[in-house]
Amino acid sequence: MNRAKRALLLVGSPRGLASTSESLGTYLLQRLNEHGFETEKTYATVCVSSDRNREILLKLVNSADLLILAFPLYVDSLPSRLIATLELIADHKMTENASVRQRLVAIVNSGFPEARQNDTAIAICRSFAKEAGIEWVGGLALGGGQMIAGRPLSKLGGRVRKVTKALDLTAAAIAEGQPVPKQAADLISKPMIPIRLYIWMANRGWSHRLKEYGTQPKLYDQPYLINT
Amino acid sequence: MKAVILDGSRAEGDSLNLLSEVVMSVVERYGYQVDNITLRHEKIGSCMGCFGCWLRTPGMCVIDDDGRKVAEKVIRSDLVVYLTPITFGGYSSELKKALDRIACPRLLPFLKKTGGEVHHPLRYESSPTLVVFGVLPSQELESEELFEILVARNAINMHTHAHSSIVYSTETFDVVQKKVDSLLDRAGVTR
Repeated sequence: MNRAKRALLLVGSPRGLASTSESLGTYLLQRLNEHGFETEKTYATVCVSSDRNREILLKLVNSADLLILAFPLYVDSLPSRLIATLELIADHKMTENASVRQRLVAIVNSGFPEARQNDTAIAICRSFAKEAGIEWVGGLALGGGQMIAGRPLSKLGGRVRKVTKALDLTAAAIAEGQPVPKQAADLISKPMIPIRLYIWMANRGWSHRLKEYGTQPKLYDQPYLINT
Repeated sequence: MKAVILDGSRAEGDSLNLLSEVVMSVVERYGYQVDNITLRHEKIGSCMGCFGCWLRTPGMCVIDDDGRKVAEKVIRSDLVVYLTPITFGGYSSELKKALDRIACPRLLPFLKKTGGEVHHPLRYESSPTLVVFGVLPSQELESEELFEILVARNAINMHTHAHSSIVYSTETFDVVQKKVDSLLDRAGVTR
């Protein structure tokens, strides 16, 4: 009897459990579980923090058939700890002679409303896959991540229906050994609300939070120009 | 005129030493006061994604370590040079750790449509000119193309002009010198 396929979710957000990356990655992991995958989850915040954690990570990666990267866009790329984790995995892959088929899918989210701003980060994940000898399954790019803000997708109702549909399609395709369907990539990239409304809501949100922190008078401070 | 070099080598022998020396000497030749920071030797924690640099201490990261020093030097510079081994077509984790820490403090939290895309406005009047050298063991067209796109995207998000070049670790001193001279000339450093 064939063993169940194993999927490993690597959450790349520094916010870990409270992140939109966690929301998106966990939803996909749950759908894969329904398709018969055994699932594991780990966090880039801890993967490279000690020799023991590095060892644990590499064991998890070795036993995974599918690696899922879920992370926020940081300066047009991946957060540094996730890059450090991928460097470790790629270095490890260069020293082993594995012939097992492994696949990689990436889910990138950003606070900018345009999903296309994630394209460079997705290309970097594809490049990692090539270097590590892992089959690239595809990338999903989501803009307007503040609409999810770390909440479980199941609690967000209709506003994330395109997102959940895209992840459902992706899970079904992966379970069949197929790449991420174009329909899924297109669906998740569609703005959840009109861009002008998103900008207005995001800016109002920042103003409220600055008031809560009592730092609105300091909003435009330029601390590094003092004493020049 | 001030310049800062951010050396993103991952380890000794990353082949950035020669490049770093050449860049330093050329930039100094044109009258810049240069700070050369080897990032892996600095105490820089990873960005926590807390937005404290927008909400708690606007313009300054809440982590009190060398990341603040790097941010200050970059903001007070006219020219910033990144040196990095090209890693999956992008920056090394060492360089990226610093960039993650210094990006948001230089921007405001609000979103604004600029040039057909939504970005954060600058906190300061201007951003230093950006020059980036990526190092590869040999020619890898796909990685090189991706690297150039990444640098161009960074320039858009940080509201500056950026120039990038690829250096191969097998290249001789003379070739590296020519590439550095040529890129810095394009960036306007030599004028």
